[in-house]
Amino acid sequence: MTSSSNSSRKTLSKIACNRLQKELVEWQANPPTGFNYKVSDNLQRWVIEVIGAPGTLYANETYKLQVDFPEHYPMEAPQVIFMNPAPMHPHIYSNGHICLDILYDSWSPAMTVSSVCISILSMLSSSTVKQRPEDNDRYVKNCRNGRSPKETRWWFHDDKV
Amino acid sequence: MRNKEPVLDDGEVEYEAGPESCWGNFEDDDVMQQQFSIQDDEAKKFPFVGDKEPLSSLAAEYQSGSPILLEKIKVLDQQYAAIRRTRGDGNCFFRGFMFSYLEHVLEAQDSAEIDRIKANVERSRNALQTLGYPELTFEDFFTLFLEQLEDVIQGKETSISPEELVLRSRDQSVSDYVVMFFRFVTSAEIQKRSEFFEPFIMGLSNTTVEQFCKSAVEPMGEESDHVHITAISDALGIPIRVVYLDRSSCDTGGVSVNHHDFIPAAGDLPSARGSSEKNNPFITLLYRPGHYDILYPK
Repeated sequence: MTSSSNSSRKTLSKIACNRLQKELVEWQANPPTGFNYKVSDNLQRWVIEVIGAPGTLYANETYKLQVDFPEHYPMEAPQVIFMNPAPMHPHIYSNGHICLDILYDSWSPAMTVSSVCISILSMLSSSTVKQRPEDNDRYVKNCRNGRSPKETRWWFHDDKV
Repeated sequence: MRNKEPVLDDGEVEYEAGPESCWGNFEDDDVMQQQFSIQDDEAKKFPFVGDKEPLSSLAAEYQSGSPILLEKIKVLDQQYAAIRRTRGDGNCFFRGFMFSYLEHVLEAQDSAEIDRIKANVERSRNALQTLGYPELTFEDFFTLFLEQLEDVIQGKETSISPEELVLRSRDQSVSDYVVMFFRFVTSAEIQKRSEFFEPFIMGLSNTTVEQFCKSAVEPMGEESDHVHITAISDALGIPIRVVYLDRSSCDTGGVSVNHHDFIPAAGDLPSARGSSEKNNPFITLLYRPGHYDILYPK
């Protein structure tokens, strides 16, 4: 089995680099509501602050998303996880892994960092209960070898939350 | 064919998720992971686009198989000279279409066809803009396709040979980008004419047109259906023939092979010189349940 630890990631291809630079410019001109990203010199990893939307269970709470871009972005999905502590949510594991189809099988180059962020915030906003997924402990234990969430075979059973 | 998915036909791989589980809830998850990665590796052994093979290689696949299929392959043998296989990675329709179209342009060197396709590509670009897609999401894919189109035109410094076209179609950094270009064009066409496509999409997946495009057209590896083929044929104005090789037998004893021609709706057809070949598709794909390969007529 391979596990993709961050240190072994390959650097961005030229086309990925160009695309990300364009996304960065677009983000700076039109940052999505509820998100803060302080530009660093690392184009390949973005750490983005998420502020829970008003009127939702997560109002005024702040979390951090870590977005890592693969060599062949945008043909390949970015790896998106919540940094510790991850919000309590039925589809977010305590290790920060997020069960959301567009981050895995349903990813498409038609999406952007910005559109992914908006989907994650919408997932938070529609939650009616602050709790971990039922199988949290077993899943997190399974990921102890540093497995990326992109290597999990996800099931997307619930489109309400 | 999408080898990542559980292969139910062979009864080998099947799994169930628990009611509140988000991930493959198997007893031995690692074993399953391994099995899927073996299936992925199997698909990857075959190039995106294979070499041209005589039709007898198709018959060889079924030597000990269905007699109906063997009879049908004999019928195909009378009309078609060769087959070129594509990798079964869920992109086989678009990949076959890509190769077949660029090969046609390379051979025909028909400048009217090149102008015509470029105009349709620009219409797709405008449709995506109108639909609200940010330019940065699709422009690289459009650029890469237009480059391939320029390069198959002969007599220039950048011109490529048929052999080079095969190599490029096997090069992921070109091939996947062109496949994705076609996915953008298909998605734009479906959404632009959503009233027309809606009943077909409801029949297939019971989702909205937009959801269908987001989940079944735009992600790489999503298989193509009638809806995708109709849309790309209409959007680019390219007729496509699909020949069906399946076990269905026909009514009156004799074996025949069905095909369906996708003729662009707009009447904006290539080789519009008023000849009888006007509606004759120059792209022929062989469909076997779950997979498309390229066929070469005699």
